[in-house]
Amino acid sequence: MKTLMTLLSGAALASTMATAQANEIVVGGKNFTEQQILASMTSQYLDGLGYDVEQRSGMGSAVLRQAQENGQIDLYWEYTGTSLINYNDVTERLSPEETYARVKELDAEKGLVWLAPSDANNTYALAMREDDAQERGIATLSDLAQAVNDDEGLTFALNAEFYAREDGWRPLQQAYDFRVGRGDVKRMDSGLVYQALRDGQVDVGLVFATDGRIPAFDFQVLEDDQNYFPAYALTPVVRAETLEANPELEAQMDKLSGLLDDATMSGLNAQVDVDKETIERVAEGFLKEHDLL
Amino acid sequence: MPTLNLSGAMRLLVLVVVFMAGVWSQSSGVIDDFIFYLPDIQYLAVQHLWLTAISGSLAILVAIPLGILLSRPTMEKVAESAMQVLNVGTTIPTLAVLALSMSFLGIGTVPAVFGLFVATLLPITRNTYTGLKGVSPALMEAAAGIGMSPTQRLLRVELPNALYVIFAGIRTALAINVGTVPLAFLIGAGGLGELIFTGIDLYDPVMMLSGAIPTALLAVAVDMLIAVTAFLMVPRGVNPSRA
Repeated sequence: MKTLMTLLSGAALASTMATAQANEIVVGGKNFTEQQILASMTSQYLDGLGYDVEQRSGMGSAVLRQAQENGQIDLYWEYTGTSLINYNDVTERLSPEETYARVKELDAEKGLVWLAPSDANNTYALAMREDDAQERGIATLSDLAQAVNDDEGLTFALNAEFYAREDGWRPLQQAYDFRVGRGDVKRMDSGLVYQALRDGQVDVGLVFATDGRIPAFDFQVLEDDQNYFPAYALTPVVRAETLEANPELEAQMDKLSGLLDDATMSGLNAQVDVDKETIERVAEGFLKEHDLL
Repeated sequence: MPTLNLSGAMRLLVLVVVFMAGVWSQSSGVIDDFIFYLPDIQYLAVQHLWLTAISGSLAILVAIPLGILLSRPTMEKVAESAMQVLNVGTTIPTLAVLALSMSFLGIGTVPAVFGLFVATLLPITRNTYTGLKGVSPALMEAAAGIGMSPTQRLLRVELPNALYVIFAGIRTALAINVGTVPLAFLIGAGGLGELIFTGIDLYDPVMMLSGAIPTALLAVAVDMLIAVTAFLMVPRGVNPSRA
Protein backbone atom coordinates (compact mmCIF):
# COMPACT_ATOMS: atom_id res chain seq x y z
CA MET A 1 0.00 0.00 0.00
CA LYS A 2 2.72 2.35 1.03
CA THR A 3 4.71 1.68 -2.13
CA LEU A 4 1.58 2.28 -4.18
CA MET A 5 1.08 5.65 -2.52
CA THR A 6 4.70 6.56 -3.14
CA LEU A 7 4.34 5.53 -6.76
CA LEU A 8 1.13 7.51 -7.14
CA SER A 9 2.51 10.65 -5.54
CA GLY A 10 5.65 10.29 -7.63
CA ALA A 11 3.54 10.00 -10.76
CA ALA A 12 1.50 13.01 -9.74
CA LEU A 13 4.63 15.01 -9.14
CA ALA A 14 6.11 13.94 -12.46
CA SER A 15 2.94 14.92 -14.31
CA THR A 16 2.82 18.38 -12.76
CA MET A 17 6.45 18.87 -13.64
CA ALA A 18 5.72 17.71 -17.16
CA THR A 19 2.93 20.26 -17.61
CA ALA A 20 5.13 23.03 -16.30
CA GLN A 21 7.56 22.31 -19.09
CA ALA A 22 4.99 21.82 -21.84
CA ASN A 23 4.06 24.78 -24.04
CA GLU A 24 1.25 26.39 -22.13
CA ILE A 25 -1.03 28.70 -24.07
CA VAL A 26 -4.07 30.55 -22.74
CA VAL A 27 -6.57 31.20 -25.54
CA GLY A 28 -9.08 34.01 -25.00
CA GLY A 29 -12.41 34.93 -26.57
CA LYS A 30 -15.06 37.65 -26.39
CA ASN A 31 -18.69 37.33 -25.46
CA PHE A 32 -20.45 36.49 -28.71
CA THR A 33 -20.87 33.39 -30.85
CA GLU A 34 -18.17 33.98 -33.46
CA GLN A 35 -15.56 34.60 -30.78
CA GLN A 36 -16.59 31.53 -28.83
CA ILE A 37 -16.33 29.39 -31.97
CA LEU A 38 -12.88 30.82 -32.72
CA ALA A 39 -11.67 30.33 -29.15
CA SER A 40 -12.89 26.74 -29.15
CA MET A 41 -11.46 26.08 -32.63
CA THR A 42 -8.07 27.52 -31.72
CA SER A 43 -7.97 25.60 -28.44
CA GLN A 44 -8.78 22.28 -30.07
CA TYR A 45 -6.37 22.93 -32.93
CA LEU A 46 -3.44 23.85 -30.69
CA ASP A 47 -4.30 21.05 -28.30
CA GLY A 48 -4.06 18.63 -31.22
CA LEU A 49 -0.64 20.07 -32.05
CA GLY A 50 0.56 19.16 -28.58
CA TYR A 51 0.27 22.46 -26.74
CA ASP A 52 -1.10 22.60 -23.24
CA VAL A 53 -4.13 24.84 -23.85
CA GLU A 54 -6.40 26.64 -21.45
CA GLN A 55 -9.47 28.43 -22.83
CA ARG A 56 -11.02 31.58 -21.35
CA SER A 57 -13.80 33.21 -23.28
CA GLY A 58 -16.86 35.36 -22.63
CA MET A 59 -15.22 38.70 -21.86
CA GLY A 60 -15.83 42.17 -23.22
CA SER A 61 -13.22 43.48 -25.68
CA ALA A 62 -11.60 45.89 -23.24
CA VAL A 63 -11.28 43.27 -20.51
CA LEU A 64 -9.79 40.73 -22.90
CA ARG A 65 -7.28 43.22 -24.30
CA GLN A 66 -6.28 44.30 -20.78
CA ALA A 67 -5.77 40.65 -19.84
CA GLN A 68 -3.56 40.11 -22.87
CA GLU A 69 -1.45 43.16 -22.08
CA ASN A 70 -1.07 41.82 -18.53
CA GLY A 71 0.02 38.44 -19.83
CA GLN A 72 -3.02 36.53 -18.53
CA ILE A 73 -4.13 35.71 -22.07
CA ASP A 74 -1.61 34.60 -24.71
CA LEU A 75 -3.66 34.51 -27.87
CA TYR A 76 -7.06 35.61 -29.14
CA TRP A 77 -8.73 36.78 -32.36
CA GLU A 78 -9.08 40.55 -32.60
CA TYR A 79 -10.51 42.85 -35.28
CA THR A 80 -8.16 45.45 -36.76
CA GLY A 81 -10.55 48.41 -36.41
CA THR A 82 -11.29 47.63 -32.78
CA SER A 83 -7.64 47.91 -31.85
CA LEU A 84 -7.07 50.95 -34.06
CA ILE A 85 -9.84 53.06 -32.57
CA ASN A 86 -10.46 51.67 -29.09
CA TYR A 87 -7.00 50.68 -27.90
CA ASN A 88 -4.84 53.08 -29.89
CA ASP A 89 -7.20 56.06 -30.23
CA VAL A 90 -6.43 56.56 -33.92
CA THR A 91 -9.19 58.60 -35.56
CA GLU A 92 -7.80 58.80 -39.11
CA ARG A 93 -9.68 57.07 -41.90
CA LEU A 94 -7.48 54.24 -43.14
CA SER A 95 -7.85 51.58 -45.81
CA PRO A 96 -8.05 47.96 -44.59
CA GLU A 97 -4.36 47.40 -45.44
CA GLU A 98 -3.28 50.63 -43.76
CA THR A 99 -5.37 49.73 -40.72
CA TYR A 100 -3.64 46.38 -40.39
CA ALA A 101 -0.18 47.90 -40.87
CA ARG A 102 -0.89 50.60 -38.30
CA VAL A 103 -2.19 48.35 -35.53
CA LYS A 104 0.62 45.87 -36.18
CA GLU A 105 3.11 48.68 -35.64
CA LEU A 106 1.37 50.29 -32.64
CA ASP A 107 0.65 47.05 -30.82
CA ALA A 108 4.19 45.77 -31.37
CA GLU A 109 5.29 48.48 -28.94
CA LYS A 110 3.03 46.85 -26.35
CA GLY A 111 4.53 43.41 -26.96
CA LEU A 112 1.67 42.09 -29.07
CA VAL A 113 2.11 40.50 -32.49
CA TRP A 114 -0.58 40.64 -35.17
CA LEU A 115 -0.26 37.46 -37.27
CA ALA A 116 -1.60 37.05 -40.81
CA PRO A 117 -5.10 38.56 -41.15
CA SER A 118 -7.96 36.41 -42.39
CA ASP A 119 -10.32 37.50 -45.17
CA ALA A 120 -13.20 37.80 -42.73
CA ASN A 121 -14.27 41.41 -42.12
CA ASN A 122 -16.70 41.32 -39.21
CA THR A 123 -17.84 44.90 -39.24
CA TYR A 124 -20.56 46.31 -37.03
CA ALA A 125 -23.70 47.10 -38.98
CA LEU A 126 -27.25 48.23 -38.37
CA ALA A 127 -29.93 45.97 -39.76
CA MET A 128 -33.70 46.06 -40.19
CA ARG A 129 -36.32 43.49 -41.10
CA GLU A 130 -36.21 43.33 -44.90
CA ASP A 131 -39.91 44.03 -45.48
CA ASP A 132 -39.91 46.87 -42.95
CA ALA A 133 -36.82 48.48 -44.52
CA GLN A 134 -38.38 48.33 -47.98
CA GLU A 135 -41.67 49.70 -46.73
CA ARG A 136 -39.94 52.66 -45.12
CA GLY A 137 -37.54 53.07 -48.05
CA ILE A 138 -34.43 52.75 -45.89
CA ALA A 139 -31.37 51.17 -47.53
CA THR A 140 -28.45 53.18 -46.15
CA LEU A 141 -27.49 54.71 -42.82
CA SER A 142 -28.13 58.15 -44.34
CA ASP A 143 -31.72 57.07 -45.08
CA LEU A 144 -31.96 55.88 -41.49
CA ALA A 145 -30.66 59.19 -40.14
CA GLN A 146 -33.27 60.97 -42.28
CA ALA A 147 -36.04 58.74 -40.90
CA VAL A 148 -34.94 59.38 -37.31
CA ASN A 149 -34.82 63.13 -37.93
CA ASP A 150 -38.31 62.94 -39.45
CA ASP A 151 -39.50 61.51 -36.12
CA GLU A 152 -40.66 58.17 -37.43
CA GLY A 153 -40.26 56.85 -33.89
CA LEU A 154 -37.79 54.09 -34.74
CA THR A 155 -36.55 52.02 -31.81
CA PHE A 156 -33.08 50.50 -31.59
CA ALA A 157 -31.50 47.46 -29.96
CA LEU A 158 -27.78 47.70 -29.19
CA ASN A 159 -25.38 45.74 -27.05
CA ALA A 160 -23.64 47.22 -24.02
CA GLU A 161 -20.22 47.46 -25.59
CA PHE A 162 -21.21 49.23 -28.81
CA TYR A 163 -23.20 51.82 -26.91
CA ALA A 164 -20.08 53.11 -25.19
CA ARG A 165 -17.31 52.38 -27.69
CA GLU A 166 -15.29 55.01 -29.50
CA ASP A 167 -16.30 53.46 -32.82
CA GLY A 168 -19.80 53.04 -31.48
CA TRP A 169 -23.14 54.68 -30.97
CA ARG A 170 -22.43 58.33 -30.10
CA PRO A 171 -19.81 58.95 -32.83
CA LEU A 172 -22.06 57.13 -35.32
CA GLN A 173 -24.88 59.56 -34.54
CA GLN A 174 -22.47 62.48 -34.96
CA ALA A 175 -21.16 61.16 -38.28
CA TYR A 176 -24.63 60.75 -39.77
CA ASP A 177 -26.07 63.72 -37.92
CA PHE A 178 -29.02 62.19 -36.11
CA ARG A 179 -29.99 61.82 -32.47
CA VAL A 180 -32.02 59.01 -30.97
CA GLY A 181 -33.63 59.66 -27.58
CA ARG A 182 -32.61 57.60 -24.56
CA GLY A 183 -35.99 55.87 -24.37
CA ASP A 184 -35.83 54.61 -27.96
CA VAL A 185 -32.57 52.72 -27.38
CA LYS A 186 -32.75 49.33 -25.71
CA ARG A 187 -29.48 47.77 -24.61
CA MET A 188 -29.13 44.03 -24.19
CA ASP A 189 -26.90 41.02 -24.62
CA SER A 190 -25.44 40.90 -28.18
CA GLY A 191 -27.17 37.64 -29.04
CA LEU A 192 -30.63 38.88 -28.04
CA VAL A 193 -30.59 41.76 -30.51
CA TYR A 194 -31.39 39.40 -33.39
CA GLN A 195 -34.38 37.91 -31.58
CA ALA A 196 -35.67 41.34 -30.59
CA LEU A 197 -35.43 42.57 -34.17
CA ARG A 198 -37.01 39.45 -35.64
CA ASP A 199 -39.93 39.57 -33.20
CA GLY A 200 -40.59 43.23 -33.98
CA GLN A 201 -39.75 44.47 -30.48
CA VAL A 202 -37.39 46.99 -32.07
CA ASP A 203 -37.09 48.41 -35.60
CA VAL A 204 -33.31 48.56 -35.97
CA GLY A 205 -30.70 46.27 -34.46
CA LEU A 206 -26.95 46.27 -34.10
CA VAL A 207 -25.55 43.21 -35.86
CA PHE A 208 -22.18 41.70 -36.70
CA ALA A 209 -21.77 41.41 -40.48
CA THR A 210 -20.66 37.76 -40.30
CA ASP A 211 -23.58 36.64 -38.15
CA GLY A 212 -25.47 33.72 -39.66
CA ARG A 213 -28.82 35.00 -38.42
CA ILE A 214 -28.84 37.95 -40.85
CA PRO A 215 -29.80 35.80 -43.86
CA ALA A 216 -31.69 33.28 -41.73
CA PHE A 217 -34.00 35.90 -40.22
CA ASP A 218 -34.37 37.92 -43.48
CA PHE A 219 -32.63 41.04 -42.23
CA GLN A 220 -31.42 43.80 -44.46
CA VAL A 221 -28.07 45.30 -43.50
CA LEU A 222 -28.08 49.07 -44.00
CA GLU A 223 -25.24 50.30 -46.15
CA ASP A 224 -22.62 52.40 -44.37
CA ASP A 225 -22.65 54.94 -47.21
CA GLN A 226 -20.35 57.45 -45.50
CA ASN A 227 -17.80 54.77 -44.55
CA TYR A 228 -18.11 55.48 -40.84
CA PHE A 229 -17.03 52.01 -39.75
CA PRO A 230 -13.35 51.06 -40.03
CA ALA A 231 -12.09 47.74 -41.38
CA TYR A 232 -12.54 44.88 -38.93
CA ALA A 233 -10.28 42.16 -40.34
CA LEU A 234 -10.35 39.11 -38.11
CA THR A 235 -6.77 38.39 -37.04
CA PRO A 236 -5.04 36.23 -34.43
CA VAL A 237 -3.04 38.37 -32.01
CA VAL A 238 -0.42 36.74 -29.83
CA ARG A 239 1.94 37.99 -27.12
CA ALA A 240 5.51 38.43 -28.38
CA GLU A 241 6.83 36.43 -25.41
CA THR A 242 4.57 33.51 -26.23
CA LEU A 243 5.66 33.61 -29.84
CA GLU A 244 9.36 33.62 -28.84
CA ALA A 245 8.79 30.56 -26.69
CA ASN A 246 6.85 28.82 -29.50
CA PRO A 247 8.26 30.07 -32.83
CA GLU A 248 6.30 27.52 -34.86
CA LEU A 249 3.03 29.00 -33.59
CA GLU A 250 3.00 31.68 -36.30
CA ALA A 251 2.93 29.29 -39.24
CA GLN A 252 0.37 27.13 -37.43
CA MET A 253 -2.00 30.05 -36.84
CA ASP A 254 -1.50 31.42 -40.36
CA LYS A 255 -2.78 28.10 -41.67
CA LEU A 256 -6.00 28.53 -39.71
CA SER A 257 -6.35 32.22 -40.48
CA GLY A 258 -6.01 31.50 -44.24
CA LEU A 259 -9.14 29.34 -44.14
CA LEU A 260 -11.47 32.04 -42.79
CA ASP A 261 -13.50 34.50 -44.83
CA ASP A 262 -16.91 36.18 -44.50
CA ALA A 263 -18.89 33.27 -45.98
CA THR A 264 -17.08 30.68 -43.85
CA MET A 265 -17.59 32.61 -40.62
CA SER A 266 -21.21 33.32 -41.45
CA GLY A 267 -21.76 29.61 -42.09
CA LEU A 268 -20.10 28.57 -38.83
CA ASN A 269 -22.03 31.18 -36.86
CA ALA A 270 -25.29 30.01 -38.42
CA GLN A 271 -24.59 26.40 -37.41
CA VAL A 272 -24.55 27.57 -33.79
CA ASP A 273 -27.17 30.34 -33.75
CA VAL A 274 -29.65 28.99 -36.29
CA ASP A 275 -29.17 25.19 -36.28
CA LYS A 276 -28.48 25.22 -32.52
CA GLU A 277 -25.42 22.98 -32.70
CA THR A 278 -22.89 23.22 -29.87
CA ILE A 279 -19.90 25.51 -30.27
CA GLU A 280 -17.40 22.70 -29.59
CA ARG A 281 -18.94 20.42 -32.23
CA VAL A 282 -19.03 23.15 -34.87
CA ALA A 283 -15.40 24.08 -34.20
CA GLU A 284 -14.33 20.44 -34.24
CA GLY A 285 -16.25 19.76 -37.47
CA PHE A 286 -14.54 22.64 -39.22
CA LEU A 287 -11.07 21.50 -38.13
CA LYS A 288 -11.72 17.91 -39.23
CA GLU A 289 -13.05 19.07 -42.58
CA HIS A 290 -9.75 20.84 -43.22
CA ASP A 291 -7.60 18.03 -41.80
CA LEU A 292 -6.35 20.18 -38.95
CA LEU A 293 -7.43 17.70 -36.30
CA MET B 1 -35.24 47.72 14.79
CA PRO B 2 -31.72 46.62 15.72
CA THR B 3 -29.18 49.43 16.11
CA LEU B 4 -25.40 49.37 15.96
CA ASN B 5 -23.83 49.74 19.36
CA LEU B 6 -20.33 51.08 18.88
CA SER B 7 -18.02 52.20 21.62
CA GLY B 8 -16.82 55.81 21.47
CA ALA B 9 -13.41 54.93 19.99
CA MET B 10 -14.94 52.72 17.30
CA ARG B 11 -17.40 55.42 16.37
CA LEU B 12 -14.57 57.92 16.01
CA LEU B 13 -12.62 55.47 13.86
CA VAL B 14 -15.59 54.94 11.54
CA LEU B 15 -16.03 58.70 11.21
CA VAL B 16 -12.34 59.14 10.38
CA VAL B 17 -12.48 56.37 7.76
CA VAL B 18 -15.56 57.90 6.14
CA PHE B 19 -13.92 61.31 6.17
CA MET B 20 -10.72 59.95 4.58
CA ALA B 21 -12.74 58.17 1.91
CA GLY B 22 -14.45 61.45 1.13
CA VAL B 23 -11.13 63.31 0.91
CA TRP B 24 -9.67 60.64 -1.37
CA SER B 25 -12.65 60.50 -3.71
CA GLN B 26 -12.74 64.27 -4.05
CA SER B 27 -9.00 64.58 -4.69
CA SER B 28 -8.77 61.73 -7.18
CA GLY B 29 -11.50 63.05 -9.44
CA VAL B 30 -13.72 60.00 -9.01
CA ILE B 31 -16.53 62.28 -7.88
CA ASP B 32 -16.40 64.14 -11.21
CA ASP B 33 -16.59 60.83 -13.06
CA PHE B 34 -19.65 59.87 -11.06
CA ILE B 35 -21.25 63.22 -11.81
CA PHE B 36 -20.68 62.48 -15.50
CA TYR B 37 -22.91 59.41 -15.15
CA LEU B 38 -25.53 61.17 -13.01
CA PRO B 39 -28.16 61.60 -15.76
CA ASP B 40 -27.68 57.94 -16.67
CA ILE B 41 -27.95 56.90 -13.03
CA GLN B 42 -31.17 58.86 -12.54
CA TYR B 43 -32.80 57.53 -15.70
CA LEU B 44 -31.83 53.95 -14.98
CA ALA B 45 -32.64 54.11 -11.26
CA VAL B 46 -36.21 55.08 -12.13
CA GLN B 47 -36.40 52.13 -14.55
CA HIS B 48 -34.86 49.94 -11.87
CA LEU B 49 -37.39 50.95 -9.21
CA TRP B 50 -40.30 50.44 -11.60
CA LEU B 51 -39.21 46.88 -12.21
CA THR B 52 -38.98 46.32 -8.44
CA ALA B 53 -42.27 48.08 -7.74
CA ILE B 54 -44.28 46.14 -10.33
CA SER B 55 -42.78 42.72 -9.67
CA GLY B 56 -42.71 43.28 -5.90
CA SER B 57 -46.31 44.42 -5.54
CA LEU B 58 -47.57 41.60 -7.76
CA ALA B 59 -45.59 39.16 -5.63
CA ILE B 60 -47.04 40.56 -2.37
CA LEU B 61 -50.57 40.42 -3.79
CA VAL B 62 -50.20 36.78 -4.77
CA ALA B 63 -47.90 35.50 -2.03
CA ILE B 64 -49.84 36.58 1.07
CA PRO B 65 -53.19 35.01 0.05
CA LEU B 66 -51.25 31.92 -1.05
CA GLY B 67 -49.49 31.74 2.31
CA ILE B 68 -52.79 32.16 4.16
CA LEU B 69 -54.42 29.48 2.02
CA LEU B 70 -51.62 27.00 2.67
CA SER B 71 -51.78 27.58 6.42
CA ARG B 72 -55.48 26.62 6.67
CA PRO B 73 -56.20 23.29 8.42
CA THR B 74 -57.87 21.87 5.29
CA MET B 75 -54.67 22.35 3.32
CA GLU B 76 -52.47 20.68 5.90
CA LYS B 77 -51.68 17.65 3.73
CA VAL B 78 -50.83 19.71 0.68
CA ALA B 79 -49.02 22.47 2.54
CA GLU B 80 -45.84 20.61 3.39
CA SER B 81 -45.26 19.39 -0.17
CA ALA B 82 -46.19 22.82 -1.54
CA MET B 83 -43.61 24.36 0.77
CA GLN B 84 -41.01 21.89 -0.49
CA VAL B 85 -41.80 22.91 -4.06
CA LEU B 86 -41.39 26.56 -3.07
CA ASN B 87 -38.11 25.71 -1.36
CA VAL B 88 -36.82 24.14 -4.56
CA GLY B 89 -38.01 27.22 -6.43
CA THR B 90 -35.96 29.46 -4.16
CA THR B 91 -32.77 27.61 -4.96
CA ILE B 92 -33.04 28.10 -8.74
CA PRO B 93 -30.65 30.92 -9.68
CA THR B 94 -32.54 34.05 -10.69
CA LEU B 95 -30.54 34.28 -13.87
CA ALA B 96 -31.93 30.89 -14.87
CA VAL B 97 -35.46 32.05 -14.03
CA LEU B 98 -34.95 35.11 -16.23
CA ALA B 99 -33.57 32.99 -19.06
CA LEU B 100 -36.51 30.59 -18.82
CA SER B 101 -39.10 33.37 -18.75
CA MET B 102 -37.38 34.97 -21.73
CA SER B 103 -37.79 31.77 -23.71
CA PHE B 104 -41.58 31.99 -23.60
CA LEU B 105 -42.22 35.71 -23.02
CA GLY B 106 -39.69 37.21 -25.42
CA ILE B 107 -37.44 40.04 -24.24
CA GLY B 108 -37.85 43.29 -22.37
CA THR B 109 -39.88 44.36 -19.35
CA VAL B 110 -42.51 41.59 -19.34
CA PRO B 111 -40.22 38.56 -18.88
CA ALA B 112 -38.07 40.56 -16.44
CA VAL B 113 -41.07 41.41 -14.28
CA PHE B 114 -42.22 37.81 -14.44
CA GLY B 115 -38.81 36.44 -13.49
CA LEU B 116 -38.44 38.87 -10.59
CA PHE B 117 -42.03 38.12 -9.53
CA VAL B 118 -41.26 34.41 -9.27
CA ALA B 119 -38.04 35.03 -7.36
CA THR B 120 -39.80 37.39 -4.93
CA LEU B 121 -42.93 35.28 -4.50
CA LEU B 122 -41.31 32.41 -2.67
CA PRO B 123 -39.77 34.06 0.41
CA ILE B 124 -42.96 36.03 1.08
CA THR B 125 -45.18 32.96 0.80
CA ARG B 126 -42.91 30.99 3.07
CA ASN B 127 -42.76 33.66 5.73
CA THR B 128 -46.53 34.18 5.63
CA TYR B 129 -47.07 30.45 6.08
CA THR B 130 -44.47 30.13 8.84
CA GLY B 131 -45.77 33.21 10.62
CA LEU B 132 -49.34 31.97 10.65
CA LYS B 133 -48.32 28.47 11.73
CA GLY B 134 -46.27 29.98 14.52
CA VAL B 135 -49.17 31.67 16.27
CA SER B 136 -49.44 30.16 19.74
CA PRO B 137 -52.03 27.33 19.95
CA ALA B 138 -53.14 28.70 23.32
CA LEU B 139 -54.21 31.95 21.67
CA MET B 140 -56.07 30.07 18.96
CA GLU B 141 -57.85 27.96 21.52
CA ALA B 142 -58.82 31.04 23.52
CA ALA B 143 -60.13 32.68 20.36
CA ALA B 144 -62.22 29.61 19.56
CA GLY B 145 -63.31 29.48 23.20
CA ILE B 146 -64.82 32.97 23.14
CA GLY B 147 -66.78 31.98 20.05
CA MET B 148 -64.86 33.54 17.17
CA SER B 149 -65.58 32.25 13.66
CA PRO B 150 -62.61 30.99 11.61
CA THR B 151 -62.62 34.25 9.61
CA GLN B 152 -62.60 36.35 12.77
CA ARG B 153 -59.79 34.23 14.15
CA LEU B 154 -57.74 34.79 11.00
CA LEU B 155 -58.30 38.54 10.90
CA ARG B 156 -58.14 39.35 14.60
CA VAL B 157 -55.76 36.81 16.05
CA GLU B 158 -53.65 35.04 13.47
CA LEU B 159 -52.76 37.84 11.04
CA PRO B 160 -51.90 40.47 13.67
CA ASN B 161 -49.69 37.98 15.45
CA ALA B 162 -48.02 36.82 12.22
CA LEU B 163 -47.70 40.29 10.72
CA TYR B 164 -44.18 40.90 12.01
CA VAL B 165 -42.87 37.69 10.44
CA ILE B 166 -44.72 38.42 7.19
CA PHE B 167 -43.11 41.85 7.01
CA ALA B 168 -39.70 40.32 7.62
CA GLY B 169 -40.34 38.13 4.56
CA ILE B 170 -41.34 41.12 2.44
CA ARG B 171 -38.25 42.99 3.56
CA THR B 172 -35.88 40.19 2.62
CA ALA B 173 -37.67 39.48 -0.64
CA LEU B 174 -37.69 43.06 -1.88
CA ALA B 175 -34.08 43.73 -0.92
CA ILE B 176 -33.13 40.63 -2.91
CA ASN B 177 -35.39 41.80 -5.71
CA VAL B 178 -33.61 45.18 -5.97
CA GLY B 179 -30.27 43.41 -5.97
CA THR B 180 -31.41 41.05 -8.71
CA VAL B 181 -32.83 43.65 -11.11
CA PRO B 182 -29.38 44.32 -12.65
CA LEU B 183 -29.57 40.88 -14.24
CA ALA B 184 -32.69 42.03 -16.09
CA PHE B 185 -30.45 44.15 -18.29
CA LEU B 186 -29.30 40.95 -19.98
CA ILE B 187 -32.79 40.33 -21.30
CA GLY B 188 -33.25 43.90 -22.47
CA ALA B 189 -35.21 45.36 -19.57
CA GLY B 190 -32.79 48.15 -18.66
CA GLY B 191 -32.21 49.13 -15.04
CA LEU B 192 -28.91 49.91 -13.36
CA GLY B 193 -27.49 46.69 -14.77
CA GLU B 194 -26.80 48.67 -17.95
CA LEU B 195 -24.05 50.60 -16.19
CA ILE B 196 -22.73 47.54 -14.36
CA PHE B 197 -22.51 45.25 -17.38
CA THR B 198 -21.28 47.96 -19.75
CA GLY B 199 -18.65 48.84 -17.15
CA ILE B 200 -17.57 45.20 -17.00
CA ASP B 201 -17.44 44.93 -20.80
CA LEU B 202 -15.43 48.10 -21.16
CA TYR B 203 -13.19 47.57 -18.15
CA ASP B 204 -14.40 50.84 -16.71
CA PRO B 205 -14.58 50.50 -12.90
CA VAL B 206 -16.17 53.93 -12.40
CA MET B 207 -19.03 53.11 -14.77
CA MET B 208 -19.44 49.75 -13.05
CA LEU B 209 -19.58 51.37 -9.61
CA SER B 210 -21.99 54.01 -10.92
CA GLY B 211 -24.39 51.12 -11.36
CA ALA B 212 -23.38 49.00 -8.39
CA ILE B 213 -23.37 51.64 -5.65
CA PRO B 214 -26.82 53.06 -6.45
CA THR B 215 -28.14 49.48 -6.65
CA ALA B 216 -26.82 48.76 -3.16
CA LEU B 217 -28.19 52.05 -1.83
CA LEU B 218 -31.60 51.35 -3.36
CA ALA B 219 -31.65 47.91 -1.74
CA VAL B 220 -30.87 49.42 1.66
CA ALA B 221 -33.43 52.20 1.14
CA VAL B 222 -36.18 49.75 0.16
CA ASP B 223 -35.33 47.59 3.16
CA MET B 224 -35.53 50.57 5.52
CA LEU B 225 -38.75 51.80 3.98
CA ILE B 226 -40.44 48.48 4.63
CA ALA B 227 -38.93 48.29 8.11
CA VAL B 228 -40.52 51.66 8.93
CA THR B 229 -43.82 50.53 7.40
CA ALA B 230 -43.70 47.38 9.52
CA PHE B 231 -42.91 49.42 12.61
CA LEU B 232 -45.97 51.59 12.04
CA MET B 233 -48.37 48.89 10.84
CA VAL B 234 -47.74 46.06 13.27
CA PRO B 235 -49.89 46.65 16.38
CA ARG B 236 -48.04 47.55 19.58
CA GLY B 237 -48.94 44.41 21.50
CA VAL B 238 -47.38 42.00 18.98
CA ASN B 239 -44.54 44.15 17.72
CA PRO B 240 -41.16 43.13 19.15
CA SER B 241 -39.58 46.46 18.14
CA ARG B 242 -42.25 48.51 19.93
CA ALA B 243 -42.70 46.41 23.03
